[in-house]
Amino acid sequence: MKARIDRTVLLAVLALLIVAPWLLQSMELEFWLDILAEVLIWSLFAASVNILFGYAGLLSFGQALFFGMGMFGVAIGIAKLGLGFWPALGLGMAVAVGTAAVAGALAVRLTWHYFAIITVVFSLIFYFIALSAKPLTGGDDGTSFSMPAMLEVGDFELSLTDQTVQYFFILSVVGAAYFLKFLIVKSPYGMALMAVRENDTRASLIGLNVYFLRWTAFVIAGGFAGLAGCLFALFGRYASATYMFYHVSGEGVVWTIIGGAGTLFGPVVGTALLIVVREELSNMWEHYPILVGLVVILTVIFAPKGLMGFWNALLDRLTQPPADRAAGGEPHEPREEAAAVQVRGKDRP
Amino acid sequence: MTAPMLEIDDLTKRFGGLVALDRVTLDFEPDVLHAIIGPNGAGKTTLFNTITGMLKSDSGTVKFRGTDISGMAPHRISRLGMSRSLQIKSVFDSMTVAENLWIAAQASQGVMHPFANRSRFGRTAERVDRILELTELERLRDTPAGTLSYGDVALLEIGIALATQPSLLLLDEPICGMGPAETAATVEKIRHLAESVDIIIIEHDMPVVFDLADRITVMAQGGVLARGAPEEIANNAAVREAYLGEEEEDDEPDA
Ligand SMILES: Nc1ncnc2c1ncn2[C@@H]1O[C@H](COP(=O)(O)OP(=O)(O)O)[C@@H](O)[C@H]1O
Ligand SMILES: [Mg+2]
Repeated sequence: MKARIDRTVLLAVLALLIVAPWLLQSMELEFWLDILAEVLIWSLFAASVNILFGYAGLLSFGQALFFGMGMFGVAIGIAKLGLGFWPALGLGMAVAVGTAAVAGALAVRLTWHYFAIITVVFSLIFYFIALSAKPLTGGDDGTSFSMPAMLEVGDFELSLTDQTVQYFFILSVVGAAYFLKFLIVKSPYGMALMAVRENDTRASLIGLNVYFLRWTAFVIAGGFAGLAGCLFALFGRYASATYMFYHVSGEGVVWTIIGGAGTLFGPVVGTALLIVVREELSNMWEHYPILVGLVVILTVIFAPKGLMGFWNALLDRLTQPPADRAAGGEPHEPREEAAAVQVRGKDRP
Repeated sequence: MTAPMLEIDDLTKRFGGLVALDRVTLDFEPDVLHAIIGPNGAGKTTLFNTITGMLKSDSGTVKFRGTDISGMAPHRISRLGMSRSLQIKSVFDSMTVAENLWIAAQASQGVMHPFANRSRFGRTAERVDRILELTELERLRDTPAGTLSYGDVALLEIGIALATQPSLLLLDEPICGMGPAETAATVEKIRHLAESVDIIIIEHDMPVVFDLADRITVMAQGGVLARGAPEEIANNAAVREAYLGEEEEDDEPDA
């Protein structure tokens, strides 16, 4: 029942996303199509935070680094190396994943706040490198480029210069990435990541290679962030070091937490909500980040699984037979001798 | 005399100035239920920690069924067929009981497929069902492990260790925190398990140890004080003096 509701909502949202270009056009709200495209790209970025934090239990404040690598890979590939559309996309991905593989090998030796700090440090280092390597990156100005065609067959040319084509390109890439994330989360590998998140000592004792699992998660997350960066470069036709700054990473963390860390679609929900809030509120009230900060704090305290957690709890309430609910969930057999102490095997800092 | 399954040679582990294991040399033969006893702080848990790779020893070697496992990472030792429960109970809190067992069963096969759906691993699911039955945790199958009672977590600990299909099971005070009925049931389970898997159990409940064990090793102050059949240990003067006499003061579960 619950799965059916979830599936129906998902299909409805997908259908809306597919008809969005025509829908928005008929409502004369074309500029919202670009906002929608941006929301899609940033929810892919938030998915990267979620893979690490929500599933592998590693809070990264450095995902913007890989986003930036993807951006510069595409922009430099097109503007400086004269690459076509697909090779530039390939370069962006290769640079992002390569950086993640190297940075990850060092970073995942650490956990908790040490991990968070080193990810910030990495992204700061590359931020300053990108700012100072002016001949390559354009420094403060960034690198802009003109859009090469995606597909050319004779006279026919497909290019992101067409707003609708661009939107559908972004929608399909982000959709495919989320499908991949779905597969990963439902796989044995995904479960292994969750086990590492829950209890790394126990995970290693059952035969899981904790270091390797964390490293692969870091690389996959780097790939997701990189892909988002590639898309964003193509979307804006430029790359800039400002997107490598940890402020951007922090936004990804906020979106993920508010939407629901460790849930498949939490990052989409969080990103969509906060970008719309930003669009609507930022020119009315310049201090709106205070509100966002407050919401994050409340979420962390009262709803660790974010908005998706609320949604799931709501569906549980609605679909569970009332009898079960009255009994308070699990039917426990009363057993006199068992101490009702809650054991929490917390042996970590 | 059969070849030992576990050979510990000259094993030393220090914590700063404290010598927790002092040149311990011990052989454990297969097909016998071994127990390790000794007062709090004797080094029993440290011995398990060092054998399983959770702690690096300062010197000495450990061989498991002929393979030198000294300095090996815990996950590699686990995949060789050595599994353990932890004295400080430690499970995957936000995962359900079934998921706890599932990941343990799957991990031991080394297949961490990144895309295939979990429902496609039929053998793992069968194994989970068998262990739920064995540990009598079926009724709690879909309960998050973090909300279990103390005794149920202790059972889940054993279940997780078993799910990895070990050939040697190390149990560190497995019945600690269980009531009398649960204890009796668990002791029977351990006895039954010992028919198919080698077991070394650390336990401070003397009646349980003397009822269960075929062979007892007594540790004190990082060393081995005595070894032998339960009767021999019960009559050993040094053991009585160092340990059994002061048994009553020792009921506090230690860390
Ligand atoms: N990780 C550790 N760091 C420092 N000291 C430790 C550590 N683990 C155990 N010890 C010390 O080593 C000694 C042996 O402890 P332990 O092996 O837990 O004893 P037992 O399990 O026999 O009660 C104790 O004095 C204990 O305080
Ligand atoms: Mg101990």
